[in-house]
Amino acid sequence: MPFVPPSSRAVTPGGRGRFTGFDVLSEVDRWDDVTAGVVLARLSPPPEYSFFTPAEQATAGALFDRLLAQEDEPRVPVLELVDQRLALGMTDGWYYEDMPEDADAWRASLAALDDEAQQEHGAAFHALDRADQAGLLQALTEAEVWHGFNAGHVWSLWSRYACAAFYSHPWAWNEIGFGGPAYPRGYKNLGVGARERWEVPDGVGGDPVEWGERAEQARRSHRALAGPPGRRRAGLPQERPKA
Amino acid sequence: MRLQLTDRDVRDRNASAWLVPAGQDRADHQARAGMRRFADSEELDMLIVGCGAGGSVLLQRLARAGWKVAALDAGPFWDPDRDWVSDELGSHRLYWTDPRVLAGEDPVPLGSNNSGRGVGGSMVHFAGYVPRFHPSDFRTYSADGVGADWPISYSDLKPYYEQLEAELPVAGQDWPWGDPHTYPHHAHPVSGNGEIFLRGAAATGTRARVGPVAIPNGRFGRRDHCIYRGFCLQGCKVNAKASPLVTHIPDALAHGAEVRANCTVSGLVLDEMGRACGARYFRGGVEHFQRARMVAVAGYSIETPRLLLLSAQRRYPNGLLNNHGQVGHYLMVQGAAQTSGRFDEEIRMYKGPPPEVSSEDFYETDPGKPYRRGFSVQNVSPLPITHAEHVSAQGHWGEVLREYMRDYVHWATLGSLCEFLPLYDNAVDLAEHTDRFGLPVARFTYTQCDNDRMLMTAAQEKMEQILTAAGACEVMTIKRYAHLVGGCRMSRTEQDGVVGPDLRSFAVPNLLVTDGSVLPTQGSANPALTIMALVARCADHLVAAGRAGADFSRRD
Repeated sequence: MPFVPPSSRAVTPGGRGRFTGFDVLSEVDRWDDVTAGVVLARLSPPPEYSFFTPAEQATAGALFDRLLAQEDEPRVPVLELVDQRLALGMTDGWYYEDMPEDADAWRASLAALDDEAQQEHGAAFHALDRADQAGLLQALTEAEVWHGFNAGHVWSLWSRYACAAFYSHPWAWNEIGFGGPAYPRGYKNLGVGARERWEVPDGVGGDPVEWGERAEQARRSHRALAGPPGRRRAGLPQERPKA
Repeated sequence: MRLQLTDRDVRDRNASAWLVPAGQDRADHQARAGMRRFADSEELDMLIVGCGAGGSVLLQRLARAGWKVAALDAGPFWDPDRDWVSDELGSHRLYWTDPRVLAGEDPVPLGSNNSGRGVGGSMVHFAGYVPRFHPSDFRTYSADGVGADWPISYSDLKPYYEQLEAELPVAGQDWPWGDPHTYPHHAHPVSGNGEIFLRGAAATGTRARVGPVAIPNGRFGRRDHCIYRGFCLQGCKVNAKASPLVTHIPDALAHGAEVRANCTVSGLVLDEMGRACGARYFRGGVEHFQRARMVAVAGYSIETPRLLLLSAQRRYPNGLLNNHGQVGHYLMVQGAAQTSGRFDEEIRMYKGPPPEVSSEDFYETDPGKPYRRGFSVQNVSPLPITHAEHVSAQGHWGEVLREYMRDYVHWATLGSLCEFLPLYDNAVDLAEHTDRFGLPVARFTYTQCDNDRMLMTAAQEKMEQILTAAGACEVMTIKRYAHLVGGCRMSRTEQDGVVGPDLRSFAVPNLLVTDGSVLPTQGSANPALTIMALVARCADHLVAAGRAGADFSRRD
């Protein structure tokens, strides 16, 4: 393992996490080189944007921050990772018959999101406050048709790309206690409650709050931002056929 | 029986395990470089299109019988050391990611969990479960009035199940369901995820067994012991998990077969007498034509029908072999709802192979239920990106998604395989969209029937019950699909299917379909072993008929 400054160890997105001191990258010298190359590339400075236009970049950046609740630094560079993926055409191949292929679907859905922001709040999506942004997304999740699209298919497109980028990043693995790449090292201690010597138990930070209460807190904070379910449904634009 | 095998028998049957080079390399580069290569103009005894579970077994069997045989594959000839990674997102190249259009009321996403690319096919990234079908699977129409009867019975396939279980080889506990049987290797130890299933099964009176997995228990030949790293679905870098790339392909090369990777077949060609005489394919951007005396298509349930439809010609204006409107139809997926449960203890389901414990207690038709046929339940172990999909499927996003994901180490997961029924309108046809070769891509239309929906709900309830009984304080389910079979089904008559029980097509007797698309029904079992067994049986018939001097261009 090459020199890593202390400030770059055990990094988690937004400094949040339950596995104090756990750094999946401390095991990098026990991964095979090909895997290490692929994972470490996600930590290197991203190339210039090559897929999103500046307007799309602004909209998508705010969209990803809301979808993944990335409110504070350090952030997993989700926008950059998705831009690279779309520029390379690294799609899953399939697409729904009622949607364009992924690249076009991204451009069209981001434009629709900006239209929605203009209609509802008279400003671009990125310029809205977090609550208004989250409210528009909440409305989409409750709609069947959204700007002529199958709303579920738009949501699936956005969340699939967002989650794949975020949870491919070693900082996210630090946050959730995932052991990351495991070849050629493998695992020796299998079983309920069993850990490798380098794995860190959950809640080392001494968080006394039980799971049910933690989940409820997260729901409360989400509702405070996005509004209670159903509230904004009336404000949805008229359904109209896809152009 | 296995006790009577001599070391030499095992060395012969499982020769590929000793073909792994000594030293650190996981692939035999010398064997690949020195592989026999046929000219396009040389008439092969058999040309195989696709190098997955079906194509590879056929290639190996015919090569061992001395046939001149080559297999083309659209994807690469994988080198596990160089090409595969212990990483979820980085394994994207293992999947078939050419464009495909999804339609119907219940469209089925393709890609990662049901389509492979490259030599070894989707077994390269399958979990490793290799259960047999039950005897009842072969006569669902007579017994239950649903699905279809196969033109063969379980007993026709049984000897081939036994062969393949020994060739992979398979590890698992004694199997009480279907036709009860044992496995060549003792079951693997289980991880936290498997422990939870066993705990929940005991508490609910459900029988559960460890296995059956295509991972030898222990070092086998020069294949290393499984290291329980949990990345079976990303390609086994260890060579512990079996796939044709490890088992049947090296053996085929050693017996003079050719594997031609990175070759996309664009059309099947008939001669003036209407017999198959070869295939057109793209290699390096240039179109070639390989001559052959017989052709076997093994591109799986989406690409096999697509290739037949793309090969429409004068005698077959609606697609090759499609004179009875059967090509592409009766395509099936299994309903594969997955349920996760939350435990106070740490489970860390990413440790250990994802295939661990199964139950087939709900596999058969229960007269007391409103639905016919059933489902199986197996451990699955979603890695973070896949687990995030499960969490988002609950409608969670933002802070709630993040909090559920922070809790990842506390969740255990079960997956179901529900026997969805074969329906004519669930089918592949050609879309308007074309790929980079200018060929129309596949459109895959899927709509569930009421029986399918009832099964998926029943499976979800059973998994929730098992996890809750094991101590879960919360459960969440994602409704999804797994596996593909059908699309060129096997039948007794040409009005009802595309191929006969010997997998030769009704319309063109020297053109075969040797992959999962021939299955008339799918049971609640993972299909890989059954596909291999069917093709091994087909190969036996071909070799025997060939020795007897059969003329494959006509039916007896």
